[in-house]
Amino acid sequence: MATTSTIQAPRRFTPARALVLGTLLAVIVAGIAIGVSVAGSSSSSSSTALAGAEQTSLMLQGIPQHGNVLGRPGAPVKLVEYGDLQCPICRAFALDTLPTIIRQYVRTGEVQIAFRGISFIGSDSEKALRAVVAAGAQNRAWNLIDLFYVNQGRENSGWVTDSLIRAAAGHVDGIDVSALFSARSSAATDKLMRGYAADAQRDMGGQIRTPTFLVGRAGQPLHLLQIASLDVGQFAPAFDQLLGR
Amino acid sequence: MTELRLRSAIAAFAVAGLGVAAYLTHAHYAGGPLFCATGGCETVQHSRYAVVAGIPVAVLGLLGYVAFLGTTWRGQTAALAGVCVAVVAVIFSTYLLLAQLFLIHAICQWCVASDAIVTILAVLTAWRFVVARRSA
Repeated sequence: MATTSTIQAPRRFTPARALVLGTLLAVIVAGIAIGVSVAGSSSSSSSTALAGAEQTSLMLQGIPQHGNVLGRPGAPVKLVEYGDLQCPICRAFALDTLPTIIRQYVRTGEVQIAFRGISFIGSDSEKALRAVVAAGAQNRAWNLIDLFYVNQGRENSGWVTDSLIRAAAGHVDGIDVSALFSARSSAATDKLMRGYAADAQRDMGGQIRTPTFLVGRAGQPLHLLQIASLDVGQFAPAFDQLLGR
Repeated sequence: MTELRLRSAIAAFAVAGLGVAAYLTHAHYAGGPLFCATGGCETVQHSRYAVVAGIPVAVLGLLGYVAFLGTTWRGQTAALAGVCVAVVAVIFSTYLLLAQLFLIHAICQWCVASDAIVTILAVLTAWRFVVARRSA
């Protein structure tokens, strides 16, 4: 004779069980999403992954470069940027303002930008600048400028290593990495760097600050652009005025 | 707090999250500049981590917040669904935050805002589940 105490109640789908199962399912879904993301990011990067490589490539793709100048050679307006590759404000400009300027003014062929690198912060500035100037000899300076800013390390911590330069150059289509390494210490590179430093002294009156910008009609004297922030709105009126808008 | 109030709070935060995700989605497709005080929004939005299987993360965010809104119906099943959505959202948001910190080396304020909203929603959905279970 069976008693009620010996009869087992059917296993019910309790809220606690539902919570455990639901949570497990959710963890699996999240794991799959992360797996897909990681797989996607790995497949789109080379063996020497470098932050910002794809973005830099997309931003500059199809825009002419000549030496330290980015943009159509006949562009009517010229912007000069004095920058130190270790300067965090220059980095902010490169990451947050420059993409819009490039999209709205450089890619359209209206503005060309010249980067005059100076290395007053320290040894890593000079090492990075040498690589940029050497890349300029292959008309790829802007790719390296942007990649250095994206991957900028702590000031003079030794972050500009040969492997970083190699990784950055490895993400630039059509660049000869060996030629770049040799050109870093060439007489032509030394001369260009001395030239930028002398230009900076002349244009800033001995008070070096980065980033500093000059703007004007191409082929005519440029004037110092006074900006209160790095917002694109600080640059656009000057461009528009020079473009006669 | 009653379940109704908790559901209202969840709906309110989900709408806030929808706003953030909608702004990022618009910026992704329109290609315009992002208002950014942290200085890394463009970097993050253009990084390879901003797209999963061809779908922008901002769009996934939109779907996630719509899912949160969908769990604000009455009842234990909806409360459980809310917890599940929250678990997925918290894990994926944490992954994206770590990617910003250690892989992209840039912080997007909008993503951080979304992370904060997801965290609040996770607390609210867990609380609601407990309340719904007690009142069942």
